[in-house]
Amino acid sequence: MSSLLRTEGLTKHFAGLVANEAINFELNTGSIQCVIGPNGAGKTTFISMISGHLQPNEGRIYYKDQDITKLNVVKRARIGIARKFQTPTIFDELTAYDNIELAVLGTDCPYSDRNKNINEVLEIVHLTNESDKPVKFLSHGQRQWLEIGLLLAVKAELLLLDEPTAGMTVEETESTARLIKHLTQEFQLSVIIIEHDINFIRDLNAPVTVLHLGRVLMEGSFEQVSANEKVREIYLGHGNANLA
Amino acid sequence: METIISVLVDATLITLVLALAAFGLAIIYGLIGVINMGHGAMLTLGAYFTWATTTAGVPFILAVILAALGVAIVGLLLEHIIIRHFYDKPFDTLLLTWAFFLIMTEVIKIVFGTDFRNVANPLPGAIDFGTIKIPAYRGAIALFSLLLIGATAFVFYRTNLGIKIRALIQNREVASLLGLNVSRTYKFVFGIGSGIAGLAGGLISPMLSVDPYIGNVYLVRSFFVVIVGGVGQLLGGTLIGSFFIGGAETIFALFSKQVFAQSIVFLLAIVILRYRPAGILKQS
Amino acid sequence: MTQRSEKQGIESAAIRSRNRFSEEKVAVIVFIIFALLPIFITGYPIYILPQYMLFGVLAMSLALLWGFVGILSFGQAAFFALGAYTMGLAMQTNFGVNSGYIGILISPLVGGVLAAITGYFLFNAGVKATYFVLVTLALSIMIEQIAVSQSDITGGWNGMYIDRMPLTFGTFGEISLFNDIPAYYAIFPVVIAIYVFVRWLATGRFGKILIGIRENEDRMTALGFNISAYKTGAFALSGAIACLAGALYGAHANFVAPSLGGVLFSTEVVVWVAIAGRASLLAALLGGILVASLSNYLSTITPDYWQLVLGIIFILVIVFLKGGVAGAISDLSKHLQSKVKR
Repeated sequence: MSSLLRTEGLTKHFAGLVANEAINFELNTGSIQCVIGPNGAGKTTFISMISGHLQPNEGRIYYKDQDITKLNVVKRARIGIARKFQTPTIFDELTAYDNIELAVLGTDCPYSDRNKNINEVLEIVHLTNESDKPVKFLSHGQRQWLEIGLLLAVKAELLLLDEPTAGMTVEETESTARLIKHLTQEFQLSVIIIEHDINFIRDLNAPVTVLHLGRVLMEGSFEQVSANEKVREIYLGHGNANLA
Repeated sequence: METIISVLVDATLITLVLALAAFGLAIIYGLIGVINMGHGAMLTLGAYFTWATTTAGVPFILAVILAALGVAIVGLLLEHIIIRHFYDKPFDTLLLTWAFFLIMTEVIKIVFGTDFRNVANPLPGAIDFGTIKIPAYRGAIALFSLLLIGATAFVFYRTNLGIKIRALIQNREVASLLGLNVSRTYKFVFGIGSGIAGLAGGLISPMLSVDPYIGNVYLVRSFFVVIVGGVGQLLGGTLIGSFFIGGAETIFALFSKQVFAQSIVFLLAIVILRYRPAGILKQS
Repeated sequence: MTQRSEKQGIESAAIRSRNRFSEEKVAVIVFIIFALLPIFITGYPIYILPQYMLFGVLAMSLALLWGFVGILSFGQAAFFALGAYTMGLAMQTNFGVNSGYIGILISPLVGGVLAAITGYFLFNAGVKATYFVLVTLALSIMIEQIAVSQSDITGGWNGMYIDRMPLTFGTFGEISLFNDIPAYYAIFPVVIAIYVFVRWLATGRFGKILIGIRENEDRMTALGFNISAYKTGAFALSGAIACLAGALYGAHANFVAPSLGGVLFSTEVVVWVAIAGRASLLAALLGGILVASLSNYLSTITPDYWQLVLGIIFILVIVFLKGGVAGAISDLSKHLQSKVKR
């Protein structure tokens, strides 16, 4: 397995507040890594620096062994890094078909294959039957999946998912875990997921990075992390009794 | 040396007059974020009200006050009937206030006709400072402008009333949850901004011939004044912006035709807008 | 930030518009009517109609920008006037080739390049859409004033007379466009061609991307699209079209004055497009033709009241009928369609 993404000493501060400090992170191709931590730990800041929405103050980011630290959002998207935002950032007034079509237009897919590619993605995210109405009418879970569909359609290789199961029902959360595992295996996608839902993280059965106050507190398997004293402390101490 | 002083004096006078003209917009756009494309029409209306009342024999100062009140009422009507439903949609308010401008201009043409009107200069003559002669009326207006802007800024930034208004506007949601009357505050600000525009129109009227489009000239200039100076910075922003737009134009006009001077200033303003969208002083 | 479509529906610009086929049907019918019109009507209407058609093209150039990308410009008339002046200047040259052709060739370049430079300068910096409106307004004023002041070139307030060009076909001879009918049938196909071209772009990849930018810029950026390049491209295209339309107008009206490029006319175009329906190219085209002819007719009777009425309709459209007449028709037909399905 080769290293897809690597950060070295990634640091970001905002007017005196340190959001991320000296984060070293690595992700191999075809794997999933969960990033957890209490609110304010710096998870979204970290993701924003990988997607290019924020520029680090110090540190470097390597993607496929290339230094991409100075690349902007558009250029990073073009080399395969795609992000799903905390609030679904999709085209509300357009249909699911149109949404996916826009993503497909961002690839060099020939006109003749467009329709096929769009329908394939719609099928993966279970929206084939809902593809004709404006997506603002879809359920929240469907809209989250649509956004994931956008990332698939644009042929992303590194998916950055920011709380993909927020607002989902238990069944939807389980399906999402299955979907993500399926996608990594089937398409060799690599995924970084920010999450709060413990069952989801457990279902994914993927390694976990714990952030706290902008630093990496620990990394390990789900079992190791959930058993760790310090991790329990930072969650319980902040009133987030997620880790039961 | 004399020419430099007289140029500076000229520039200062023009700056202050422009500041007066732009101030109503600075208040409305700066405080409640309405892109009032009808600002020019409010100036024009103020000028016409002043003309109408002075022609009817009302003394100048009273006429101007009545004009200000008249335009304030028109502004409040506009706010109440239409604008207040669109505070969250800047594009719509832009178009709606533009429609207001179109309609108001036609109404003025219908009511007052399109001939040039003249408002008599209540303070003719010039004050002699030795090397410099300052037209008395212009000087008076410039002084008044400084006082008005200073006083208004004082009210908004130093008095309880002003602080409350600004706090309420900055935290609309919280304020309305607390049961404070947000819509009344917005109305108040819109009314004041309109009234000041009418006031400015009235005060400026003796210096030009009044026609339905005099406000137009000041519309784009006022916007650039506010943007270059920094949206929301009522005192310093308005003055700096006015100096840039008005004063610079005067200085450029020494070297080229008036028309070019204005175009150059507009171009410069566009450049500044692009590099400093938060105002010439602030790094965005 | 661009202006988003809202519930009251700019839906007619939706990508996989099922209405697309019916817009095309309507377009064909309309064009056939216009093609046959000179058979049934003669005189002034036939003389003036090509100019109104060109106003329609001007309106269409705004619809491309405003309806599809969501960028409002108060400066389209400036490009129109620029085109007319370019044609005027071209007609004064004598390079051996048909001067009119030179004007037709150069004008879209002039408009396109000017728009591209302005667009690149502003969009690349992420200038807000509302500021962009102000900039185009300022540009309008600037161009009008330059036209007035450079009177040795432009004729100043008095305007510039433009010779009417003939249609030349090299060694195959030439057709004079002096009379109404040849002029009509010279301009009309060009209008159709422009419509077809823009429509082709708008319903294809380019148009869809523009709509995507209008709907959610952040998402488009995150998908890897260089949105400022697309905005600049759209602005350049609309500037080029407006300029070309202006050149043809100049060639037909044989006269151009600074007011053609001024603020009043620019904003009138906005009013036409808002009322007709900004997301439909055909609606903008027809709306431009219709309102221009109404304006002209009613101006002679009651200029002020007509403008007043127009202003009030404008407000009503903004408040109640976001998608204009075209949007209302589209919503209505969808409503009826869904009723029929039951």
